[in-house]
Amino acid sequence: MSKIKYQKPTINKIDFAMASKYGSPMKTQKIRSEIDGVKVSDLTQKYGSPLFVFSQRKMEELYHNLHSAFSSRYPDVTFGWSYKTNYLNEICKVYHDLGSIAEVVSEFEYQKARALGIEGKDIIFNGPYKPYADLKIAVREGAKIHVDNLFELDDLEKIADELNMKIPVAIRINMDTGIYPQWSRFGFNYESGEAYEAVKRIYDGGKVYLNGLHTHIGTFMLDSNAYKVATIKIMQLKEQVERDFKSQIDYIDLGGGFASKANLKGVYQSADVIVPTPDDYAEAITNVIYEMNKSENLPKLFLETGRGMIDEAGFLLTSVHGYKRFPDAKKGYILDAGVNLLYTSTWFNYNIELDKRYEGDNEASILNGPLCMNIDVIEESIMLPPLNRGTILSVSPVGAYNYTQAMQFIRYKPAVVLIDKDGQAKLIKDVDDLGTVNHKEA
Amino acid sequence: MQKYKSLFFSAVKPYSSILFLNNKYAGLLLLSITFLNPSVAISGVFAVLFSVLFADFLEFKESYLAQGFYVYNSLLVGMGIGFIFSPSLTSLALIAISSAFTFMLSFMLNRLFSVYKIPILSLPFSLVTMFVYLASLKYSGLLSTLVNNTTHYDIALPLVISAFLKSFGTIFFLPTNVAGILMILLVLYFSRIMVVMALVGFYFGVLIHSLLIGSFTQALYDPYAFNYILVAIALCGIFLLPTLKNFFLALVGVAISVVLTDAITILFNYYSIPVFTLPFNITVIVFIFILSIIYYKEFNMEIKSTPEESLSNYLSKIFRFGTLYTKISLPFSGVWSVYQAFDDEWTHKGEYKYAYDFVKKSDGKSYKNDGLHLDDYYSFGESILSPVNGYVVDARHDLVDNVIGEVDNINNWGNYVIIKSDLGFFVEISHLLQYSLSVSVGEYVKVNKVLAKCGNSGYSPEPHIHVQAQEIGALGGFTREFNFGEYIQNEKLILNSLPKKDELITSVMNDRSISSRFLFILDDEFKYEVFVDGVKKEDVSFVVKMNEIGEFYLEDKSENRLYFYNDLKQFYFYNYEGAESYLKRLFILAPRLPFVSSQEVEFKDYLPVYLVKSKLQSMLIVLMSTIKKDYYKVEHVYSFDGKTLSSKYGEVTLEAMKKGYVKIKYDNVELRRVI
Repeated sequence: MSKIKYQKPTINKIDFAMASKYGSPMKTQKIRSEIDGVKVSDLTQKYGSPLFVFSQRKMEELYHNLHSAFSSRYPDVTFGWSYKTNYLNEICKVYHDLGSIAEVVSEFEYQKARALGIEGKDIIFNGPYKPYADLKIAVREGAKIHVDNLFELDDLEKIADELNMKIPVAIRINMDTGIYPQWSRFGFNYESGEAYEAVKRIYDGGKVYLNGLHTHIGTFMLDSNAYKVATIKIMQLKEQVERDFKSQIDYIDLGGGFASKANLKGVYQSADVIVPTPDDYAEAITNVIYEMNKSENLPKLFLETGRGMIDEAGFLLTSVHGYKRFPDAKKGYILDAGVNLLYTSTWFNYNIELDKRYEGDNEASILNGPLCMNIDVIEESIMLPPLNRGTILSVSPVGAYNYTQAMQFIRYKPAVVLIDKDGQAKLIKDVDDLGTVNHKEA
Repeated sequence: MQKYKSLFFSAVKPYSSILFLNNKYAGLLLLSITFLNPSVAISGVFAVLFSVLFADFLEFKESYLAQGFYVYNSLLVGMGIGFIFSPSLTSLALIAISSAFTFMLSFMLNRLFSVYKIPILSLPFSLVTMFVYLASLKYSGLLSTLVNNTTHYDIALPLVISAFLKSFGTIFFLPTNVAGILMILLVLYFSRIMVVMALVGFYFGVLIHSLLIGSFTQALYDPYAFNYILVAIALCGIFLLPTLKNFFLALVGVAISVVLTDAITILFNYYSIPVFTLPFNITVIVFIFILSIIYYKEFNMEIKSTPEESLSNYLSKIFRFGTLYTKISLPFSGVWSVYQAFDDEWTHKGEYKYAYDFVKKSDGKSYKNDGLHLDDYYSFGESILSPVNGYVVDARHDLVDNVIGEVDNINNWGNYVIIKSDLGFFVEISHLLQYSLSVSVGEYVKVNKVLAKCGNSGYSPEPHIHVQAQEIGALGGFTREFNFGEYIQNEKLILNSLPKKDELITSVMNDRSISSRFLFILDDEFKYEVFVDGVKKEDVSFVVKMNEIGEFYLEDKSENRLYFYNDLKQFYFYNYEGAESYLKRLFILAPRLPFVSSQEVEFKDYLPVYLVKSKLQSMLIVLMSTIKKDYYKVEHVYSFDGKTLSSKYGEVTLEAMKKGYVKIKYDNVELRRVI
């Protein structure tokens, strides 16, 4: 028997309200020793720490859950994989293989999609800033251009002249769906009539024509009713445009913003309780289309989901480098991953799981990153048992945005592993080194 | 002219009704058979004519007369009078008086009896003849023909056979074996089952009677033995389905009628009144009264023109749509597992046994990690969808979700919602997540509408969905047997069934883009060009019509009719009337179309045998299925991918935004939609 290590005594508050006759579940430890059958310790040993790990099984499950909620209700629905959520090649491929087209918001993302073999017609080109040269390439390749502003429309008309063609476009609409903040930055406003004016402008110009309407009402939407309102407004505009301009709008795109089961800071209830289910979103949207469709054909429905399809499939494995006791008696752990990799820690309380069961009582602890910056805090206060150096923590859900927004700051960007459907881990991005960073430097 | 024609047929149809047939030509034939005894024939015709004219005088609705049974009692009374009195002015007057009375009595009794869903049979006849015969004791002016009756038409046959035929003839007041032969042949043409039951009823009755009175010959000579025949046919073929179970029930009925006949004979003999059909009426009415009240399973709910048709209709209905009326959809979307089924180990017991619990699982477990937190459970927070169309009548969602390891045994049901289905029963769903209800009391919900989220309130050890059907809309109401109208298991669409414990099932979501293509409106027309081996042969068109009882059907130019129904979960055909036609083919190719598009599914259907078998084969199959129902169960496999419904017979194709089928294909024939 090994000698029991000495621990400095601490005083903990006992929360009676949460105690049950089986003991308080709040006191227990959350354990994750493996991801899809692969041990986290094996992963860090082989690929290093910190390490982003994605579960293909979970990705597909999330995709199917969301997709079937829509496709079982509506015949013609296509998902566009939102590149900015996570544009690692292998990740994008998983979604493309499942049937998603690409949704990009810059020339860089556009090129990335093309490099992955996605045809122009299967790319939705969004965003407020589309450089002229790249816009022209996208038009030539038949991409779905979603116009954000009148300057872009001017550009498109010029391109139409240059290429001697009539360009099909969609316009982005912003609207009041009762959601704060209202995303009025992008596209043309519905309530003020700006959107209708833009359509009129399109038909007056006669060089481009409208075949789609697009809106994207926000992100991490916790109210499915907002989608109902958005769909009503889009369908109203569609009917108005089709009637006034004797045209046919092929598709409507309701963007994304579906929430994942991540815990927002400042929200008391758990994600299961407040986050709408795929059924909620699908019902809100499809019912309105059926009820409001006056055209001969049902419009194609595009959705640009990102977060909802990947967030819960992503984990960041990080190791305890050391700990210290702060003057206020709180225990502080130093991890090898911090806000440089977990940009979203500003808004979310992560689910933090241990690699195995640890002896000892839980106590309030702080998780700090490796950066030499005072702000590098992942968790201000989390109940943890005493951990050792080398303990591996799984931080989740971190599938959305964390990798794409991770900074090469102070430390190198870490490696990324994808665990495929057979439970085989494969490296999809190696850890950066000096060469990567110095690559374009003088 | 049309009016006289229909009056004429309302006059002859009652003749067939007496033998439980519903055919004007059979009526006409029976009318001619009655001329074996002209007195009976003339009196009968007069009684019918007078009733019809009387009804006409009262300006009765034609539809009443079309049913026949208001008149057949008058007919029987008329023939009964003709049986004892030769036609004369006075006897005709007596017939006129009594047939008017019988007609009204029939109407009145029917109104009273229909409250309890029992038929009047020939009870009015039994009552009125009783009065007439009693009264006629005083009417010495009427010349009785009873002495010189019609036995001289008899042909020489062994007594055992002759007695049956005579008895059969007596139903029409023609106690001669010639009439019996003619009538039995007529019945044989329409229904073999009726003939079998007539034989069985007669000989079994006679056997019982002979045991009781100690003489077989005397039992054979009993003039009222025809009651056994009528009882047997009525209880195994007409009012009850012709099945093995009812066969034995009919034997019991026959035995009872033997004793009743003897008892009534003794009583009536004091006053020289014949017994006629009173034992039959009493026996059958008692049986039907009780059996309809207890919802006897093999009761014939939909009486068709012959027992064969009734059975065929019943069997294809139970095989295709299940025996249960209470059907619901699954209360969730996606793949779930059965946690508790009917009459299961923990809480589904006794009056509460008809309930289902579902949980969501992954790798065989309903939770991740240690399962100590509510959010570890896959079911927790998932959407609960309405299993029926109906009104929300009661709901609650203020109770907290128990932490794992605790249950609330004061508010057993936890947070709940109760919906009154459009079909009358109630559905209760329990253990909703606190404050997750997205519908309110009084709201109308359609199937698949999101109601709330799955939680862990009430007596719930872990988050799950509890669903049950109830007779009443109050919380804690006793459960009622139900099944699930449709669910998917291993890529197969299972209909009207119950998944077993721990089975994984996928719910079927209603794709409105498909269902809306089958919302046919009266006069919708579907025109097709018919190609045989790629060469155009002809044009056909199907038009949507409705009959007087509100059944919808597709009709072609030759007036073939294909009956259909859209129950908002599926579109199906259920009956076909007519000759070989494209419509008949369509029934075989697409007997049902589920509104599911998310994946390709395979399902089984059971077609009525008359669609796929020859006449003779169908006749034999129906006859055999009286003994074992499964003989009728011929399975056909169909697969549907949201666009094409295919089977070994061929395929039909759908197209977005177009009503109906755009292509119908079988063998070397192809129907292409024009409009």
